[in-house]
Amino acid sequence: MAQSSKKAPPREPLLEWISAGIGLVLTLGIMAVIGREALRGETHEPPAIEVVKTAVHRAGTGFVVEVKAINHSGGTAAVVEVEGVLKDGETEVETAGLTFDYVPGHAERRGGLFFTEDPARHTLELRPLGYQRP
Amino acid sequence: MNTRTHPSPETSNRAYAVGLARAFGGALLFALPLLMTMEMWALGFYVHPGRLLLFLALNFLVLVGLSRFGGFERTASLFEDVLDALAAIAVAIIASAAILTLFGILTWDMKLDEIAGKVAIQAVPCSFGAMLARKQLSGGDTSDDEIQAERTAGYAGQLFLMLAGALFLAFNVSPTEEMILISYMMTPWQAFLLILASIAVLDGFVYALGFAGQRDRPQGISWASSFVRFSLVGYGIALLVSLYVLWTFGRSDGIPMAQLAITIVVLAFPAALGAAIARLVV
Repeated sequence: MAQSSKKAPPREPLLEWISAGIGLVLTLGIMAVIGREALRGETHEPPAIEVVKTAVHRAGTGFVVEVKAINHSGGTAAVVEVEGVLKDGETEVETAGLTFDYVPGHAERRGGLFFTEDPARHTLELRPLGYQRP
Repeated sequence: MNTRTHPSPETSNRAYAVGLARAFGGALLFALPLLMTMEMWALGFYVHPGRLLLFLALNFLVLVGLSRFGGFERTASLFEDVLDALAAIAVAIIASAAILTLFGILTWDMKLDEIAGKVAIQAVPCSFGAMLARKQLSGGDTSDDEIQAERTAGYAGQLFLMLAGALFLAFNVSPTEEMILISYMMTPWQAFLLILASIAVLDGFVYALGFAGQRDRPQGISWASSFVRFSLVGYGIALLVSLYVLWTFGRSDGIPMAQLAITIVVLAFPAALGAAIARLVV
């Protein structure tokens, strides 16, 4: 009976094995990465965003401070507002702001703040103001 | 023992390569609108990873099913269907990663988690396209089509095709904010009319409008019976698929029941269309 049900085995072309193999590797790989994220269960953590200065340039009539928002937690933040304040001692000299559409968990996003005053001659304070849950 | 002569390995490899190339074409054709949708780029990293995994697993099963009913290569066994589904996923992941990189959406400084999420979610419509490409972009030969028609003829086969079609179209429109917005703008009366319209569309597409692939109502079965057994059941499938897709994308969380119901009805409209079309084209 086992013999009668066994038809002449069709020989799959080598290319079929190769592409199926690639598919298997890619599928398992991508599922492993997402699965690891699922197991860590960090996506519900509140985002922890740090804003740091990466560079200062002269730009047009003023200055641009390039900044980087780093999310140290697994939770994704949307509409992240960032504020940069130039201070002379306790007095605020100038304020600039920007909004990042998304800062995904454990990811970085880059942007810049425009100032008319030279940031090098003041102290620059950078901080995230708030976010939305996507 | 072997009375049938097999084509030489070179020609079968060549034929398979042509099938693969078609699969890439199909993946592009089906997925380009979503590859160019902003919400899809963000979904990859804010979708609940557990739900995304479940969705990918389900997608794989649907691909295996689609391979039974017309993948890019004729299959003789379930094992071959699995091989085809894997190949379709290979094509889908490579195609979506390539296009996203070409568009500058994937960059080298991104974390692996983010890249995996973005590619995985785009791979779903790509893999659908890759799988359907053979059927849609090639002539197909008649003797095999008869075997396929036989498989498709069963009631379970019909229900499966409706599910696959509903899933594809629901997935296609659900990432956008507009689905939610439309449900806010509709009154319950309009939602009620939309339900009737969806069912009419489902029934009309399959039996009445005379598209290629149109089916005659099953013989010896009354209009009412075929309406209930196919069109109404099809709409039920469209509703369930809509709810599932909304849940996967986290769109059902924290929405009051009545609002959720209207959103499901909105999404079930394209899903019903997909269910109807799937029975025609696959």
